[in-house]
Amino acid sequence: MENYLSTEFARSGPLLLAEALNKGRYKTAQRVFELMTPEQVVDEVKNSGLRGRGGAWFPTGIKWSFMPKPPLKGPSYLVINADEGEPGTFKDRAIMEKDPHLLLEGILIGSFAIRAETAFLYIRGEYLTAHDALATAIAELEQAGFLGDAVFGTKHRLRIVLHRGAGAYICGEETALLNSLEGRRGEPRPKPPFPAVYGAFGRPTSVNNVETLANVPAIVEHGAAWFKSVGTAQAPGHLLFGISGAVERPGCYELPLGTTARELVEKHAGGVKGGKKMRAFIPGGASTGFLPPEKLDVAMDPESLKKEGTMLGTGGIIVIPEEISVVDAARVFSRFFRHETCGQCSPCREGSAWSDQVIARFQRGEGQREDFTLLEEIMRGSKQRTICVFPEAFAGPLGSAIKHFRGEFESAMTTQQAPHA
Amino acid sequence: MPELTIDGRKVEVAPGTNLIEAARKLAIEIPYYCYHPALAPVGSCRMCQVEILDAGKPPRVTIACRTEASNGLNVSTTGKDCVAARAATLEFLLANHPLDCPICDKAGECDLQDFTYRHGSGVGRFTEPKRATLKHEPIGDHILLDQERCILCTRCVRFMDEYAKSPSLVVAGRGDRNVIAIFPGEPIHSNYEGNLADICPVGALTLKEFRFKSRVWDLDTEESVCTGCDRGCSILLDTKRNKTLRVRPRVNLQVNGHFICDQGRFGLLDALNPVGREELGWVNGARVTAAEAASALATTLAAERGKWLVLLSARLTCEELLLAKAALRPLAKQLAYVPVAAAGGDEILFTGRRAANQKAIERLGITALSEEAAANLLAEPTTVGLLSFDGALAARLMSQLPAAAKSRRLAIVDVIAKAVMANAAVMANAVLKPPHGAELFVPGTLFSEKDGTFLNVGGVLQRARRAQRWPQGTVSESQLLLQVAASGGVSLAELTAKPDLTFALLEALGQPGAMLAQLPDDGLKLAAATEVAVA
Repeated sequence: MENYLSTEFARSGPLLLAEALNKGRYKTAQRVFELMTPEQVVDEVKNSGLRGRGGAWFPTGIKWSFMPKPPLKGPSYLVINADEGEPGTFKDRAIMEKDPHLLLEGILIGSFAIRAETAFLYIRGEYLTAHDALATAIAELEQAGFLGDAVFGTKHRLRIVLHRGAGAYICGEETALLNSLEGRRGEPRPKPPFPAVYGAFGRPTSVNNVETLANVPAIVEHGAAWFKSVGTAQAPGHLLFGISGAVERPGCYELPLGTTARELVEKHAGGVKGGKKMRAFIPGGASTGFLPPEKLDVAMDPESLKKEGTMLGTGGIIVIPEEISVVDAARVFSRFFRHETCGQCSPCREGSAWSDQVIARFQRGEGQREDFTLLEEIMRGSKQRTICVFPEAFAGPLGSAIKHFRGEFESAMTTQQAPHA
Repeated sequence: MPELTIDGRKVEVAPGTNLIEAARKLAIEIPYYCYHPALAPVGSCRMCQVEILDAGKPPRVTIACRTEASNGLNVSTTGKDCVAARAATLEFLLANHPLDCPICDKAGECDLQDFTYRHGSGVGRFTEPKRATLKHEPIGDHILLDQERCILCTRCVRFMDEYAKSPSLVVAGRGDRNVIAIFPGEPIHSNYEGNLADICPVGALTLKEFRFKSRVWDLDTEESVCTGCDRGCSILLDTKRNKTLRVRPRVNLQVNGHFICDQGRFGLLDALNPVGREELGWVNGARVTAAEAASALATTLAAERGKWLVLLSARLTCEELLLAKAALRPLAKQLAYVPVAAAGGDEILFTGRRAANQKAIERLGITALSEEAAANLLAEPTTVGLLSFDGALAARLMSQLPAAAKSRRLAIVDVIAKAVMANAAVMANAVLKPPHGAELFVPGTLFSEKDGTFLNVGGVLQRARRAQRWPQGTVSESQLLLQVAASGGVSLAELTAKPDLTFALLEALGQPGAMLAQLPDDGLKLAAATEVAVA
């Protein structure tokens, strides 16, 4: 299968509409609006096995099938989660900066599938270049009559509202995103009700990731069988793997799901920078935690990584070279998560800050044997005990660091007797 | 009605009841901070964790505040997972809490203290420096904010939004920098601010008026009724050494729900601790004991039967009003009252009608007179004087009299501050004079100094219990009225033959059968007015 997500990544600026049309873009969307029913689109996506690329890997077609069917009692919304904030992740940014029309065609089809006449595109505040590319592209579509009161001249209506976030990681959590979109504090909402029942502005809403929607035009164009011909049985298709950290060629690589981490790091990214040894790698963004180099042969798909006690997450690999200690690396993430928890739930607010302080002590060489128990209990006391899964995110790097690199923490312990021992 | 099992005991609850309230019905405590029965649950403190037991599955820990009772649900509050989860939450909440209980007004009635004793661990492991934030910061007219003590339950934020309809508090910052704050330069401006100190489960929001006044365990508490307006909110009076130090709402779903307004709360604080209160009586410009003044008043009314205009006040209890009607109507030229109009009320609790028991006066069939009509009646040549149970009203009426009627005499029974001669320049030489220049003055009593009932605007009869002693030597209004009746030869046998005056009152209001001690805690809702026949 040829690449279908990253065809324009080598460009210096975004692909504009005129050229996009020359490349055959929007033909699929037009066919959908003119000839298909929403059910047919949902079924095609459901059959393709497409799963959400935002990190949770929930089947997209099933999510869409939760949305209300006629007779509708009011508007439904499509919300596009472009608040890409997971450290080590930059795939959505690449799509939006280089190929905004790929995403927009996905939005057109997705909106049609869930009968939404308004799509809210919530984009991370720092993504200015991507924002401008999208703003231009949306204006082009309006001009071309691909948006508005008669999409492609049909009776369907659609408008896209581009909304910039204000710099909070937690707003990537779909319900915090909805609160932020509505002008409230970006704090996750208790579920149920789920967005499909009570979403943006209290209306049924499907929240989908940028890359997920970017997959949709190709799936509808080539069919579910085509899509399932690559990747794994449970996670078909290509994924944009972001590789960063100490590698020779950091970047965004489009490869089938199930490609090994070793192939990604060594073949595509050119191996560890300067030919050094690898101390650890992170498979799918900060919250997936550290793995030792021995695990490089793991297949990069949700199921294989779950077996290793971690997650595929966003597929953003971070390579940590030998000269950086895992204690220091863990501290970078603990500080990040402490900074980014919304703080509404007590265990997460206090636990993320407390664990950061404990790791800081190890960093200063002042860790104590009791601190291992303490860290474990902070994680246990907060995981699954809050409104969203943020504690799982901060426990990812922390727990895996202790699990796989306990020796590094032990050598960072104080030689002095603990005050309470 | 769903029936569920909590800790092995079955309970039936109304649909929509959450697990905290269902457990409360069984007197099982599920601790909580962010939940409040009067606010929408947010589920963020994570204190109310319980286990849902499902045969064949491991127990599922979840929060009770956002779990609705459903038929057949099996809940455990004692499973080891939820017990550990609650202890963990407490350890998190206490990590940055200053533990300054010895100087905190909330100590003794603090949920953080109480739940830590009952659900927490005795030892804290947090050894890092605690967060330093704002302390005792004024955020309104009455409330001081201590961000260090705050556990960020956000009850206060939601109270101002949802209940007080005056959004003025926010969570500012993010994560462990979260703090409760006002908008810059915009302090709280609301008639419901005082409630913040009550709903704050810790000592983060405290009252200026109560700051360092007392340890709460040194207070005596009595159930009472607010007389700030005729809503008649259920309240608690906290007293110490005969001073009312605090007024708090008492939950009464048929009157005021969970809250009271600031007009009532702080108005009562002043009213119940009157400054410079006149404790002696006055007769013809001479200071006499209260008993002597009462006797003089009784003698006067008996001797000048049918010549005095008598105006009752809505500050009196229902029982006093009933007694007054029986004792004074035969002796007065006219027994009446001047209705108080509502002014400045709000949509929530405060009616703005500062006449607590006006409904009772109405329902007892006492004649209503406008202030003008009362002044005209007083000016009639056949009227010799005015007996008023409201000093301020008496003063207003007397000042309206035409020159020809300036000789009308005045008797007052009320709680009034000592009056000082206008030319008494130095307190040491202060010359006292009778309040409002009354010929006869009998010091009255406060409602908090006696047992009685009040009938609110919605027809709920509530009991106010005696919370304070009246000044030594005072003659209460009841004693005075009995004496007046005796002197005037008015028989009160019909009333005194009843089990008590409340019983007689309910009979008179057409709903017989209860004595004072039999009134329910949340009051007795009377049937709509079956107007009492005017005798």
